[in-house]
Amino acid sequence: MNNSLVVVVIASGVLFGTPLLYAALGELLAERSGVLNLGVEGMMLMGAVTGFWTVERVHAARPLVLAAAVGVAALAGAAMAAIHAFLVITLRANQIVSGLALTIFAGAAGLSSYLGNDLHLSGKPARYQFQEIFPKSLRDLPIVGPVIFGQPLLVYASWACVVLVALYLSRTRVGLNVRAVGESPAAADAMGVSVPRYRYAHTLVGGAFAGIGGATFSLSITPQWVDGLTEGAGWIAIALVIFSFWRPTLCLVGAYFFGAFKALPFALQGHGVTVAPELFQTLPYVATIIALVLVSSRAARLRFGAPAALGLPYAREER
Amino acid sequence: MDFEAAAGEVHALLGENGAGKTTLSNILTGLYRPDEGHIELFGEHVEFNSPRDALDAGVAMVHQHFRLVSPFTVAENVVLGDHRDVGRSFFLRPRAIESRVEELSQRYGLAVAPRARIWQLSVGEQQRVEILKALYQDARILILDEPTAVLTPQEAGALFETIRAMAADGRTIIFISHKLHEVKAVADQVTVLRRGQSVATVPIVDATPRSLASLMVGHEIEAGRRQDGGQEPGEAVLELDEVWADGDRGVAALRDVSLTVCAGEIVGVAGVAGNGQRELAETIVGMRPATAGKVRVRGRGIRNGDPRGAIGAGVAYVPEDRLGTGVAPGLSVASNVVLKAYREPPASHGPILRTRRIRELAERVIERYDVRTSGPHVPAWQLSGGNLQKVVLAREFSGEPVALVAAAPTRGLDVAGIETVHSYLREAAERGVAVLLISEDLDEILMLADRIAVMYEGSIVGERDARVATARDIGLLMAGGEDGD
Amino acid sequence: MRIERRLRQPWWLTIVVPVLSIVVAFVLSAFVLLLTGHPPLRSFHRLFDAAFTGNGALSESVVSATPLAFTGLAAAVAFRMNLFNIGGEGQLYAGAIMGATAGLLLAGSPSPLIFAAMIAAGAVGGALLAAIPAILRAFFSTNEIITSLMLNYVVGLVLEYLIFDSHSYLRDTSGFEANVFPQGKTLPDEATWSSWNIHGLVLPLGFVLSIAVAGFVWVLYSRTRFGFEVQVIGDSVRAGRYAGMRTRRKILAVMCLSGAIAGLGGASQTGDFRHQLDPRGLRSANYGYTGIVIAALARYNPFAVVLVALLLGGLQNAGFTLQGADFPAGLVGVMQGLILFCALGGELFVRYRVRFAW
Repeated sequence: MNNSLVVVVIASGVLFGTPLLYAALGELLAERSGVLNLGVEGMMLMGAVTGFWTVERVHAARPLVLAAAVGVAALAGAAMAAIHAFLVITLRANQIVSGLALTIFAGAAGLSSYLGNDLHLSGKPARYQFQEIFPKSLRDLPIVGPVIFGQPLLVYASWACVVLVALYLSRTRVGLNVRAVGESPAAADAMGVSVPRYRYAHTLVGGAFAGIGGATFSLSITPQWVDGLTEGAGWIAIALVIFSFWRPTLCLVGAYFFGAFKALPFALQGHGVTVAPELFQTLPYVATIIALVLVSSRAARLRFGAPAALGLPYAREER
Repeated sequence: MDFEAAAGEVHALLGENGAGKTTLSNILTGLYRPDEGHIELFGEHVEFNSPRDALDAGVAMVHQHFRLVSPFTVAENVVLGDHRDVGRSFFLRPRAIESRVEELSQRYGLAVAPRARIWQLSVGEQQRVEILKALYQDARILILDEPTAVLTPQEAGALFETIRAMAADGRTIIFISHKLHEVKAVADQVTVLRRGQSVATVPIVDATPRSLASLMVGHEIEAGRRQDGGQEPGEAVLELDEVWADGDRGVAALRDVSLTVCAGEIVGVAGVAGNGQRELAETIVGMRPATAGKVRVRGRGIRNGDPRGAIGAGVAYVPEDRLGTGVAPGLSVASNVVLKAYREPPASHGPILRTRRIRELAERVIERYDVRTSGPHVPAWQLSGGNLQKVVLAREFSGEPVALVAAAPTRGLDVAGIETVHSYLREAAERGVAVLLISEDLDEILMLADRIAVMYEGSIVGERDARVATARDIGLLMAGGEDGD
Repeated sequence: MRIERRLRQPWWLTIVVPVLSIVVAFVLSAFVLLLTGHPPLRSFHRLFDAAFTGNGALSESVVSATPLAFTGLAAAVAFRMNLFNIGGEGQLYAGAIMGATAGLLLAGSPSPLIFAAMIAAGAVGGALLAAIPAILRAFFSTNEIITSLMLNYVVGLVLEYLIFDSHSYLRDTSGFEANVFPQGKTLPDEATWSSWNIHGLVLPLGFVLSIAVAGFVWVLYSRTRFGFEVQVIGDSVRAGRYAGMRTRRKILAVMCLSGAIAGLGGASQTGDFRHQLDPRGLRSANYGYTGIVIAALARYNPFAVVLVALLLGGLQNAGFTLQGADFPAGLVGVMQGLILFCALGGELFVRYRVRFAW
């Protein structure tokens, strides 16, 4: 029964959804503080390539190497986000253009590809990768085996991240300040909350999350490096944040939904059903558009709307 | 500029718009830094580099435009940025915060539910939240910037009691206003500001409204009242017939409004901000569709929800939101002058714009209305409020309207600007235009209008002849009091 | 440090700042090259030679610049009204699909007729695709950034489906080889767009067309009522509504115009250069996204768009030419990104004055 279509799709949907989940959580944090970063794809690819490079070049015990790889990927993502943050927070550049520039700079035809080629990383499997951590007896349990126990560590870590981000935003004092900065920077500023500091911090952490999301590809899903291996996952992550109404727990659901769509054509092929994979793969994109239309009604926007100051630069002098 | 305030004192800063009151308070709260000079607090030299420094020193401010996060609850707003009290803990403790808010609001008579969300509150309640924020942060000095501008006379009275209670606790209250009678009613000391300088500080017992007024503007002024032009109103021009419309939140913001404005008449619409005045103006000019009822101009119904219909029928509109609705801020003065006239000659010929003609039109407007700017190519946002309003009025009058809807036309203008706008409105009425003046400034309405309609919660709750109306009577209507008492 | 809005923008700033931005971008690129062990000056020299001064290099750069000029103009047209159409990529694919179809269907007809049909079909294809986010934005207030972006992927996948996974009209199914290595059907010779050779510089029809479009856009936006309305709505939607402008109609018109221009780029790809529907080639080129960069760099001025397209097209062309062991792919993207970052940062100095006084 663990080979049944539904179980396979759900199990691989969870895996395929994990990089989306990391990236979307990161983007969510940035957007909650009022910074829209369209450079997710670039940040993910940088995380993927630097993570892979670490695994190739660092010689140590497997867990250490993998931990280092994730750390390096997070740093690379944060470094990319720092460029965006500097441009849009300090220099007040247009957030959309800056984010796109970041995608071009770091993306499939940019720095990530440059590094991948220059360091000769393409075309070989990763020396170490994240593997299932639970014993086979658990993994063979019906349904929950593959879905819950058959996942690599990064999946479980992402669950912890969802809980942490959700608690952070809704239950902590700092989280309250973040939300205020995203909703009404003027109000936060008047109460002594430093708007630039909060925005920088959350944009950078967002980048780190995107980097980890990228590393999930090169260290677990694929696991190798090819130019542009995220195949637009960064863009989906941006859509996912909107799809989930800026709520971390809904991000989890959405990410697995999108992941399942990604997994479905492969699973169907395994069952001898052939569909044109291209047409099938359009479904998540079309679904995003439909979901967007559904939540863009006025009533829905009031309840689930974007942070009010999203995408707007804040400057105290200009009021 | 110098001034001094003692603990436990209510100290008023009195001055016209542009006298430097708001700049001063921004310096006191650390939003701006002074170019020169220094601030001393309880005998100690302090330097505020950010709002946080000011808050930590015990200086808090209630801004004219509230600094509240509208999707948040009252308690969340109050605890925002706090790092001393129960908010110091890493995790929020909603219960503790709520009970503290409750306690404060009872002690100072600031009734508001701690769990309510800001967007659900009335303007008066939101102001109470602002004061609660300051009290929660243990502010020793509280600055209130024009706090009564958004209140009914009755609500203002309650605010004054809160102010006295806070002063009795040893807090210093700095009360910024340009209304003489309020200053007289609440302050112990008053410092008069003029053009960025403090002119005098006097104990309130020694001051009369007249002496303060002359200090404020530099010469004696007459308290204005509508001079009877003696002109009889003509035929009905603008008619609203049982009009309903929804607000931005999808709830009815206009309820069954019927109103007539005749040629040559100024009808004032009074009311506390947020009682449907904005929706009223927008519905008349077609920017907001009416859900029921009819707007008629000279007896002909105008197309619902289509601004072009209203423009075609000769309805001019001076919107409340000057920069953003009244003018496109990034475009040149010239473009803004032809914002409505660009469709017809001489501004265009068929689909083609005639840029030279447009520049000439703009130059003429700049000259005739004395707009202070270096030329028609200057982007509109660079103009001062008064000059911007001149551009708007010039454009609206150039269309030779039959009716004019003016929403808060003098908000944020200096004395000279207010004078100019008032004279243009009077002139328009003399030329037979039906003028609907919507304003939150009751004095302005009493001064200009022939007839006064009062709005409360989306309805017109009463109409008065301006010659016999009293501020007290209108104030009661504004607060939703019974008509006809 | 204090940042103040400039009340006056000296005219020379608008020239000095972009030039300086590009210089800074090259300096930063030099650092990237140095860090990865490549000699920067020699790399730049080779890059410049391969882009502009080398034998026939400029003609090749014009080839690379043509689609970028179209997508740049498409982005600029929409951005002027604050509509962020980032679907230029997909609209270009749609134009290519439609253009290729027209070219194949009309095989045997006189060339001018085929050219006209391909141009029209490309424009319609792009406009139709752009109409989707336009309608959603105008009537449901759905954010056009995400919808137009998602459609890029949808059309990209459809493009691949047409050639790789179906037996569509556009696919070459003539022989055994074509079935193993799927590719698009080759357009007839009469559907090959003209080009002009001026002293060794080859100007393809598409490039000339893009200059004509730039002229059209300039006149439309600075000299007509339509352009005036676009400016007002772009500056403040409420001011546009207030002045009685039909904002919804304008959203539809501008988005469709933008899509049509991007679609022309797609038609030009099939007519001028590729002569078949080439999914891999189109998808890997990222013309649409680069076009957005170009529009922003050109500050939405249509003629500047064509110039910037030549600059970035030259870079891209050089990247293709030099790509190899000692010249890693991706460098060009890095440089493009750096140029844009610097231009964005430089924008601050045009709009604001930075004072270091306390």
